[in-house]
Amino acid sequence: MTPIVELVNVWKSYDGVQALKGLNLEVWRGEIFGLLGPNGAGKTTTLKIIVGLLRMDRGLVRVNGVDISEEPYEYKRIIGYVPESVSLPDYLTVEEFLIYSGKIRGLSEGKIRERMNYFIKLFDLEGKRRSLIISLSRGMRQKVAVASALLHDPDLLILDEPFIGIDPAGQHILKELFNERVKGGKTVFISTHMLDTAERLCDRVAIIHKGQNVASGDLKNLQQISRAGENATLEEVFLKLTEEAREQLFEEEPIKRRGGFLSLFGRRGP
Amino acid sequence: MRVSIILALYRFKVKAFLGALRASKASIALLLIYSLGLLPSIFGFSLIISSAVREGGASIELYIEVLASVTSLFMFFAVLSALRGYVAFEHEQSFVFTAPITPREFLIAGIFADFTSSLIFTHPIFLLYGITVHSLSLPAPSALLMLISILTFTFMLFLLKISLSILKALYRGGLVNALISVAAILLMLPAASLLVNLPFRYSLLPYPSSFLAKILVGMVYGINDLPLNLAGLVLYFLASVLLFHIFSGKNFFPAATYMPLISPFDTSMRVQTLKLQRSISMFSKMGRFLTLSLESRSLLGFLMRKEIIRMIREGSLFTIILFYVIISFVVAATSSGQAQGPPPALFLVFFVGIYSLIIPLMLVSNWRLSDLENLWVPLTSGVDMRIIARAILYDFILLSSAVPTAIILVLSAIYSISPLMPLTIIVSTSMIGCSVNLYIMVKFLGRGRRGTPSLLVGWVSMLLSALLLSPVYILIITATYLGLEWALIGFSAVILAYSTLMARFFSRKIEKEISRVEI
Repeated sequence: MTPIVELVNVWKSYDGVQALKGLNLEVWRGEIFGLLGPNGAGKTTTLKIIVGLLRMDRGLVRVNGVDISEEPYEYKRIIGYVPESVSLPDYLTVEEFLIYSGKIRGLSEGKIRERMNYFIKLFDLEGKRRSLIISLSRGMRQKVAVASALLHDPDLLILDEPFIGIDPAGQHILKELFNERVKGGKTVFISTHMLDTAERLCDRVAIIHKGQNVASGDLKNLQQISRAGENATLEEVFLKLTEEAREQLFEEEPIKRRGGFLSLFGRRGP
Repeated sequence: MRVSIILALYRFKVKAFLGALRASKASIALLLIYSLGLLPSIFGFSLIISSAVREGGASIELYIEVLASVTSLFMFFAVLSALRGYVAFEHEQSFVFTAPITPREFLIAGIFADFTSSLIFTHPIFLLYGITVHSLSLPAPSALLMLISILTFTFMLFLLKISLSILKALYRGGLVNALISVAAILLMLPAASLLVNLPFRYSLLPYPSSFLAKILVGMVYGINDLPLNLAGLVLYFLASVLLFHIFSGKNFFPAATYMPLISPFDTSMRVQTLKLQRSISMFSKMGRFLTLSLESRSLLGFLMRKEIIRMIREGSLFTIILFYVIISFVVAATSSGQAQGPPPALFLVFFVGIYSLIIPLMLVSNWRLSDLENLWVPLTSGVDMRIIARAILYDFILLSSAVPTAIILVLSAIYSISPLMPLTIIVSTSMIGCSVNLYIMVKFLGRGRRGTPSLLVGWVSMLLSALLLSPVYILIITATYLGLEWALIGFSAVILAYSTLMARFFSRKIEKEISRVEI
């Protein structure tokens, strides 16, 4: 069986800053997969490359077995995406935005109406159906964005920090929704800073640091990799692994800083 | 009052304003293009002023009225902006208002910082002043006095604006609103004398703008009522200093309203969102008559409808209408009152045509402000981005041609001028202007160019559009001067074909670029 998302040696830099340094990652069908990492680790960059909002410098990304560099549009039909900072067309009403989302995904009139009504009810947006998006709170905007991402019932749902700004009831609905989708064979791929949530929600996680995959697997795997003990929480594992990665990087940095001939042999150099 | 604190605040404010310039290396180059691009206009304008003065013939009073109207317009905006109360930036609220700094220190630093920042864009005015003074061979003392008068008036505006803003911030009642609004209206009322014969004109009223206009025109023409006008202007300046002294002594910090930093160089999403939110809250209620419905059959039609809704609800349509209403007003003003008879056809063509270049730029800039960050929705949906690009471009062309077309038809009917030539220019300007502006805007969304201030990108777009439109104007001028009225239909067809080709060429480029945009 092929993974639904596969990243092989993916590199990406912005204005001289290396955001991803040969990242490898696999997400399997029917799981909730969490992408964890400290600030600036490359989580958002990774998600944006997968959904086609950023282009990688080199490497290979396959979604549903399709090389996204070869076929950059069609694969998106199975994806639903919610960015971290949700920007929505403020000048549209909630209903108009969901219609727009459905139309550009080629959904039928009936399907749009049915799914839109379902999510408006689920996310308690009935009273806001005809309100302009500009009048919504941050949490409500997040709910609208999630509804838009789910409108076409995608096989792969990708969410960047989905719980930020959402009230506890909304978070509970989201978690239930993710679990239901996974039971139905769909995949949920989230990036989050909330380690306790990730521990309870995710089947597997990957911890990335400075654009590299430090470790991935379920909690048991990570406990073994980190040698943090079998009772260690995800937070403890995370802190241990990222600290080790930081130390390792610190040891390599002086060699790199010397530049010239030696830097050519830097283990992590491009 | 501590000078060191004022200097530190001044430096901080200027750096905050210019900070975003550093985001893109292209900014400095584009700023240079802005300055250089204005050079021909400055030389041209200076030439017009000097030759008008040398040849004489025109009414000096008219010059005073026009100059006083323009300077009153600046005052009008300064006074009206006080209705928002005192607006401070969020970072000032967090870090400055919580420090042991007095309101007066903060305000004085602000005045000088505002003046310095405004020089970035207004420096061509000083160039115009220098060239004009030189070409008129004005003696150095007169030239210096003119400059001092302009600066006095400018600082008076800053002081007045701040004082009224604090007044509004501290006393939020309807009386203050009424006072500010009445003052603003009174400032502009005499401008109506340019259109109709009125007993009150700027030259007869003791307005600060009248004093300034009389000083400037008087210096050029050697009219000897300088002491009186100078005294008038200085008196207003002193009054504004007194007002400033009174209001800057009050603690308005808790009454200030806040906004994120808005600098013309700041293209951050947060600032853009704020700008957009203001106009959406204003126009969205009016724009609810048109809605997005499920029934649309073609995707292109649906997307075009969505863009039209955006342009109505964010105020673009309103701005275009307002823009052309002002143009019609100016055209009407030049053909009645002081001037005689209907405007010549060529005047109408060029006036409307040249100003129509601004509309595509405005539409594209508004799109960038309001919808660029929302491109993630179609970009992640798998929709063919070429349709998105087409919908945006077609709507821009449609809207930027429809409004002026209506205005041109009305003006042509009033002045019995054939609408063919102006309409050809309008459609051509819309097609070329919109496609070029959109292409350059999308091109500048690429990696490394993203931080370039949209204002400077817009300037480059305007230059390229004007360059590509020059064959259109050459054809029109040729036809008019050779008296080839009969050939006008043929020429119009050629122009439209050329414009369509250009629009198609850039449309293809936009379609290619838009799917490569990184958000």
